[in-house]
Amino acid sequence: MSQVIESDVCIIGGGISAAMVAERLAETTEASITVVEAGGRTASLEERTATRARMLAYGENPYPNDHIPGQTGTGEMYQSMVLGGAAMHWGGAVPRYSPEDFRVRSLYGVGYDWPISFDDLEPFYQEAEERMGVAGEQGPPEYDPRSQPYPMPPLPLSWNLLRMREWTDAAGIPFWTQPWARNTEPWQGRNVCQRCDTCAVCPTGAKYTPDFAFDRLLAAGRIRLNERTLIRSLGLESGSDRIASATGFHQDAPDEPVQFRARTFVLAAGHAWSSHLLLMSANSRFPNGLANRTDNVGRYMTGHWFASGFIELPMRLYPGIFPNNSLLSHRFASPGPLDRYLRHDIRLWESTVGREARLAADDGRVLWGDEVMADWRARTRSTATARIRSYYDVIPTPESRLTLHSGMRNSHGDPMPRIDYAAGQATLDLEPHTHETLLGRFDELARAAGGRMMSTRASRLFEHPGGGCRMGDDPATSVVDARGRAHDHENLFVVGAPTIVSSGCANGTLTFCALSLMAAEEIARG
Amino acid sequence: MAESRRTFLKQSAASVAVVSLPGCAPMSAESPDALLPATLRAVGETMLPEELGADGRERAVAAFELWSEGLEPVAEMAHPYLVPETVYTGPDPRPGWAAQLRGLDIESRKRFGASFGEIGVPERRSVLEPHVRRAGPDLGRPGNAAHVALALAAHFFASPIATDICYGRAIAKQQCRGLAAAGDEPAPLPGVAS
Repeated sequence: MSQVIESDVCIIGGGISAAMVAERLAETTEASITVVEAGGRTASLEERTATRARMLAYGENPYPNDHIPGQTGTGEMYQSMVLGGAAMHWGGAVPRYSPEDFRVRSLYGVGYDWPISFDDLEPFYQEAEERMGVAGEQGPPEYDPRSQPYPMPPLPLSWNLLRMREWTDAAGIPFWTQPWARNTEPWQGRNVCQRCDTCAVCPTGAKYTPDFAFDRLLAAGRIRLNERTLIRSLGLESGSDRIASATGFHQDAPDEPVQFRARTFVLAAGHAWSSHLLLMSANSRFPNGLANRTDNVGRYMTGHWFASGFIELPMRLYPGIFPNNSLLSHRFASPGPLDRYLRHDIRLWESTVGREARLAADDGRVLWGDEVMADWRARTRSTATARIRSYYDVIPTPESRLTLHSGMRNSHGDPMPRIDYAAGQATLDLEPHTHETLLGRFDELARAAGGRMMSTRASRLFEHPGGGCRMGDDPATSVVDARGRAHDHENLFVVGAPTIVSSGCANGTLTFCALSLMAAEEIARG
Repeated sequence: MAESRRTFLKQSAASVAVVSLPGCAPMSAESPDALLPATLRAVGETMLPEELGADGRERAVAAFELWSEGLEPVAEMAHPYLVPETVYTGPDPRPGWAAQLRGLDIESRKRFGASFGEIGVPERRSVLEPHVRRAGPDLGRPGNAAHVALALAAHFFASPIATDICYGRAIAKQQCRGLAAAGDEPAPLPGVAS
């Protein structure tokens, strides 16, 4: 072995879940911590003003070198493989799941209950919000339960969103401000949001990205970070089911293996690469892959689907004031008793759809110069567009699955992940009712403003995906326990997105972080 | 009022031009791929609002030239959500745009006996109309435009200034503005219809 690196805890992956675990362990233990990230670094905060300018001008990726050529799979997954992971690109939306998400079988007779409750996770939600810095508005407590205030005041509603909230108030559906991992006050040395409209790449540092946490830990000497080091397999201790090592290579020396040895291993490689590594680590004792005695690794891959649309409103709005803030309602995520299962959120944004400059009138006549401007003004003087979208629950199924791709390999010959997402019959049976109800609600909202639906769309993209190593009390139907510890390996934890039981009807990142912190508490116990 | 309106439009169009783009490298005017300046300006007079005034349109065209010089062919695009493949921008459109500008001159000479810049606006429109009609009503991204006239129009009408002029308000989209005034109705622009 060319190089052996030893530590108390080895975290595989350098994204947001890894950052949460590393930070918590660094603060609450004396453990030596190694973080191994397959990718390198991308644009630093100082470079993001320039990359943002080129993104705006040309649509270019503002995060150069954020993936590894050939290290990719098929099915919905992120391209990013870089320090910070997909949470470099994210917009920072951080709603919590609803209490009902954890008990859908008990409450509604569908899907699966989690082995933990909302109340179990609530302190870790709060902790995650404080670690990243979340600005939020307390919604109605019955739909937005929390034990403590948001760390920061909410992002202000723009003039547009204030007008839209007058409308939604009239419709009788409670909306409040989407919580964001963006600063409204200085937070951990980072700037306040400057309303730049490009949250995918924040030039001010107001949006949380995990590289900030890693840099703090590095500066404090609390972690060892091995970048550009791709782990290819985990190995067992001789005569034991404990994990002894993680072996991979540095991208600059692909023929020189690097081995990481640790007392505890934390797999924080996201929804695709976590299951992939376990499957890649098959050996004679675990021929189907590590942590996979019961053939659950890679199963129950999940995400939520959505319906969306555009509403024409009889009001003047000014698109561009603050397009990256939105109104949120979880009213229907906590719906009370139901005849037929449907839980969903609703988000509303300002939009330019149908209100952009164009070069032809409705009758097909070509417009020139001043005519373009006159036509544009006429279409924006007294009408505006709102975008509406609802995520809804997809009930997970074991057939929704990540496997090793038989026909796609990286430069080392390793099979890449193949994700074949599937919705179970329960979701498909409910789909007509789901769409009819959602589009009816959209239409009702539009009419409450005297407006109309311009268009609608239904998507089967599995958004905010997770699963593959789901948590549970029963090893026969799960991969890890409620704290992320693998049933088959006492010193292996899987954290974040792979461990979710279902993806609810809200953006998942905050829940992935809270689960990671919950696991970190258990890891710290030793 | 008229003076302040002119001043605003002049300043507005100027601010389109002063955007500095990292990675821009000016193209030599002798390059066969260079955009013929006079013909491009005549296209600007045809496609861009007259209310910008001559100075404003000049600045908008200059901003387009600066933008096109900084364009990198086949650049890696921002990753589409949950798509595990790298997506790239298209090949360099500038040689095609340069040829189109030369083509506009040739067509104008054949049809009207003078270069594109020397013929009147109605004649220019008749030359450009088939290209505009073929593209359809939506402007899209300038780098994807099938014709240089559409690229120029797309570049201007997507700019923060064009939005402000349309609404007659200082919206200043995509410019870091701080949170304090987010809840306020954007201030009217002097002398511009709102």
